Amino acid sequence: MPAGVEQEKAVSGAAMEIAVSRHDLLRELTATQSVVERKTTIPILSNFLLEADGDRIAITATDLDQSIRTSCAAKVKKPGSCTIPARKLYDYIRLLGDGDISIKLLENHWVQIRAGRSNTRMVGMARANFPQVPEFPESSVTRIPVASLRTLIARTIFAISNEESRYTLNGALLILKAESLAMVATDGHRLAHIEKAGESFPGINGEKKVLIPRKALQELQSLLADTDADSLDFADDDSTLFFRVGHRVLTSRRLTGQFPNYEAVMPRDNNKFVIVRSQDLFASIQRVAQFADERSGAIKMRIEQNELKVSSSSAEAGESEDTIETPYSSDPLVVGFNSAYLIDFLKAIGNEGEVRLEFKDAQSAGQVRPEDASDDYKYRYIIMPMRI
Amino acid sequence: MGRIRVLSDQVANQIAAGEVVDRPASVVKELLENALDAGATRIRMEVEGGGRKLIRIADDGCGMSRDDALLAFERHATSKIRSSDDLLQIATLGFRGEALPSIASISRLELTTLPADQPTGTRVEIAGGKVLSVEDVGGPPGTTITVRDLFFNTPARRKFLRAETTEMAHVTALVTHYALAHPEMHFELHSATHALLTAPPVREATERIYQIFGRDTLDQLVPLAAERRFEHAGLPEPPPWRRDEDYRPPDPGYLRVSGFVSKPALQKLNRNSIYVFVNQRLIRDRLILHAVTEAYRNIIPPTSFPVLLLFLEMPPHEVDVNVHPAKTEVRFRQQSLVHDFVRESIRATLMKARPAASFVEALTATPRAASSLVPAAGEPEMPGSDPVAQPEEAAPFALSAPVPRPEEVRLPFSGSSMVAEAAVEIQPAGPVPSPASSGANGHACSQQILPEGAEGAPSLASLASLKPLGQLRESFILAVNDEGLWIVDQHVAHERVLFEKILRERKVERVNRQRLLMPMLIDLLPQQMAIFATLAEELERNGCEAEPFGPHTIAIKAAPAGLAGTELERMIFEVLEQPGSDSQSENLETARTRIAASIACHAAIKVNMPLDPARMEWLLAELARTEHPMSCPHGRPIALRYSWKEIQRAFQRI
Ligand SMILES: Nc1ncnc2c1ncn2[C@@H]1O[C@H](COP(=O)(O)OP(=O)(O)O)[C@@H](O)[C@H]1O
Ligand SMILES: [Mg+2]
Repeated sequence: MPAGVEQEKAVSGAAMEIAVSRHDLLRELTATQSVVERKTTIPILSNFLLEADGDRIAITATDLDQSIRTSCAAKVKKPGSCTIPARKLYDYIRLLGDGDISIKLLENHWVQIRAGRSNTRMVGMARANFPQVPEFPESSVTRIPVASLRTLIARTIFAISNEESRYTLNGALLILKAESLAMVATDGHRLAHIEKAGESFPGINGEKKVLIPRKALQELQSLLADTDADSLDFADDDSTLFFRVGHRVLTSRRLTGQFPNYEAVMPRDNNKFVIVRSQDLFASIQRVAQFADERSGAIKMRIEQNELKVSSSSAEAGESEDTIETPYSSDPLVVGFNSAYLIDFLKAIGNEGEVRLEFKDAQSAGQVRPEDASDDYKYRYIIMPMRI
Repeated sequence: MGRIRVLSDQVANQIAAGEVVDRPASVVKELLENALDAGATRIRMEVEGGGRKLIRIADDGCGMSRDDALLAFERHATSKIRSSDDLLQIATLGFRGEALPSIASISRLELTTLPADQPTGTRVEIAGGKVLSVEDVGGPPGTTITVRDLFFNTPARRKFLRAETTEMAHVTALVTHYALAHPEMHFELHSATHALLTAPPVREATERIYQIFGRDTLDQLVPLAAERRFEHAGLPEPPPWRRDEDYRPPDPGYLRVSGFVSKPALQKLNRNSIYVFVNQRLIRDRLILHAVTEAYRNIIPPTSFPVLLLFLEMPPHEVDVNVHPAKTEVRFRQQSLVHDFVRESIRATLMKARPAASFVEALTATPRAASSLVPAAGEPEMPGSDPVAQPEEAAPFALSAPVPRPEEVRLPFSGSSMVAEAAVEIQPAGPVPSPASSGANGHACSQQILPEGAEGAPSLASLASLKPLGQLRESFILAVNDEGLWIVDQHVAHERVLFEKILRERKVERVNRQRLLMPMLIDLLPQQMAIFATLAEELERNGCEAEPFGPHTIAIKAAPAGLAGTELERMIFEVLEQPGSDSQSENLETARTRIAASIACHAAIKVNMPLDPARMEWLLAELARTEHPMSCPHGRPIALRYSWKEIQRAFQRI
């Protein structure tokens, strides 16, 4: 392309003008705005990038670690691009009535927004300053069922560590095999592992492991919650993970570092178990945890003759005990846990059905899983005990 | 002829002088003590040339007869004790009969003395130990001793003297101490050109502190008063069959402490501001210093020292003052009892007072290396005073009392209130049981603490009423109550809360520990490995289970609840840091608090961490419940206050 044309394009870029439905625009801004950088350390990152071309307007937001790019139909009068303060635009569009909105780029990064009798100008920044967002690579794409991934994330994300540590525990590990899909997350105290069989990933031979940062999982969770699509496209390269859900693309920088060898810690011989209803266990733990030590949230679980007792005590709050009836005839056992860890699990399974609590002794990892054989999912939750 | 000769008295006196009098301040000390022993109520001192040129001390005490006046210069001549039995019951400051002859042997001395009930007095002139003249004189009752040209005949000693200003500073500090110990007496100290200290009689120490140092220093101090009965332990008693009908077991008497301790905000770089008096005698005692340091441990930084005025009183037989000629060292008969009593009294006082630091004061409160308490206000240069050379060891020391106006000396601490407050039971002392306390009721010592002043000294007791407003940069909690605006460092506040909780739980072996899914492997250096070996058990008791995993690695299998990931690792490295060069000598209790402090620090809420209002309220409430909410285990302040008054003043509303 001759330099003159390039030049002209830039000039016309400075003259972007579109009309778009307020409803469509707001939907896409909502899907995008969560990745906008909240701190104002790098000013350009608190802007949306708007790019008008053909019959669509593309919206991009990024915080450098991740990005979301989406689009919606628009009447493009003059193709071009601009940046607009994200928070301001989003809040303003929300307050407008339904109908068409016209967005027009003026001189010096000023942008005019008109809708009905409302007329607003706000100032963006030079489009050239907006960072380059990686393009979805069309090669080596894996199709993943939306429903499966949604479940996998919901049942592991809470176990991701908040702490920095020598292992990379600030994400969940996605394991793709030719016929199954699994996800695992841990914070070093507990571990959530879920596997879905009966899938088909023709492109995968052997096993593909991908560590996905928590932030990306959260974004993915909302994208998956807000789509009609049955499957999403996943791709990756050396530095970036890509998820395409419908017309929206999420990118995330890869986590560097090592995920621990989780298979080694999965308990094998936890042969003492009780089965209780999730609801009952949840209610008991919630009651009893009121009286647990503030810092550790420690509760004791005692299984003995046809009973599960949940108890707590702390110098400050007092003490409390709940008893749940359940068949048990093996040796009695007392083991302590952080109540918050159990609550997390019970919430993740929607507090439904029955759960099986499996123990070995007071020092070894306990395992909890839903007692629902019909499920395609194999879900296990491992918690290390607490000595109280 | 043998080579051994008995030394002449003069030489013997000079040798003794070497021990008793090493600098002008020691001369002042001896003469001052003599005046006090003589029952003086007014003492006036003049000191010139840092004491080398002139020291004159005039008292209105009992005076001496002509015979006594001459005898006083004989070695070991004293009116204060008669037999060695009396040594067990020394109630006077002097008793060795060494001071006057020693001083007289190394100076030109003039003594004028007149007993109250006699018409004529005596004047004695002595130079280098030789009596030059004795004559009758008239004048007011009392004794005046003038010492000129100190060390004129001992050039060796003279060489060791410091600059005049330094010597003067020592003299002034010394007189100040005695003035503090005797508020009921009149003290004056003059240099050649001006008055350094003028302190007319007041009723009590508080008023004296105010007189000498002013309001600011007094505001930084918390009054202390406590007492306990002495144990019977070891007091000689006749066996039952030798006791008379009306035999009464000897009264063990009371151990009392009173005085002032500084709030944690006031910190010094050395021990020079710790003044300890035992039965009104100024002493430097390692045992008491140790008790003081212990009391302030985990309240002020280990490198800082508090300011203290401690007056210990005990029956004379409980303390041996005859340890050193300078009489600044003592030996307590029941050492650990005295030690623990002092430590616990200070702790209890601080705990009760919960002194709050003002933000404005904290801004300027860097520990100072002052050689002693210095009046807070900058000293205006006195007209006609010599331009003073900068002394090498301390800030220029010049004390001039604010001209006292009686009505200004009204203070909230009234004499009658000393005993008004209900007795406060001291908690059983720290984890190291002292021999004296191991017996039954060993620690049933009750103590009385001065009540706060009516106007309400700033106190952290009101922490409980704080309402959080929000955070400053997600690091400091801003909170208010009627007293003003408070700024609370969220990290150190939580650190203090956790620290006390950890120590509490550790004591009853109830530390919650979370087992780790995968052991955390940490590589250590050989010396860290060695320290680990010594601390492994204590770490284990604090919830950190670790064991060697190969020659230079440890595997952590369980961690104290609330400590995970990198913070756990950092805590381990911090604890295994060489604690000084003498890791061997770190005692168990120090190790224990060090580990607790380290766990607390790493498990605590960090700065740059957003807290919701409920969490802030929780933290403030927890802080209010701690024993020492004023500073974190490393001694940094936790909560600072802009008082309502300060705020009003700053906005020129008052
Ligand atoms: N300022 C004084 N007023 C009355 N008596 C004094 C005074 N100073 C010294 N003396 C008498 O002189 C004696 C010797 O004093 P000193 O040498 O200091 O020995 P000490 O004080 O140990 O008895 C004292 O015991 C006391 O009787
Ligand atoms: Mg004497």
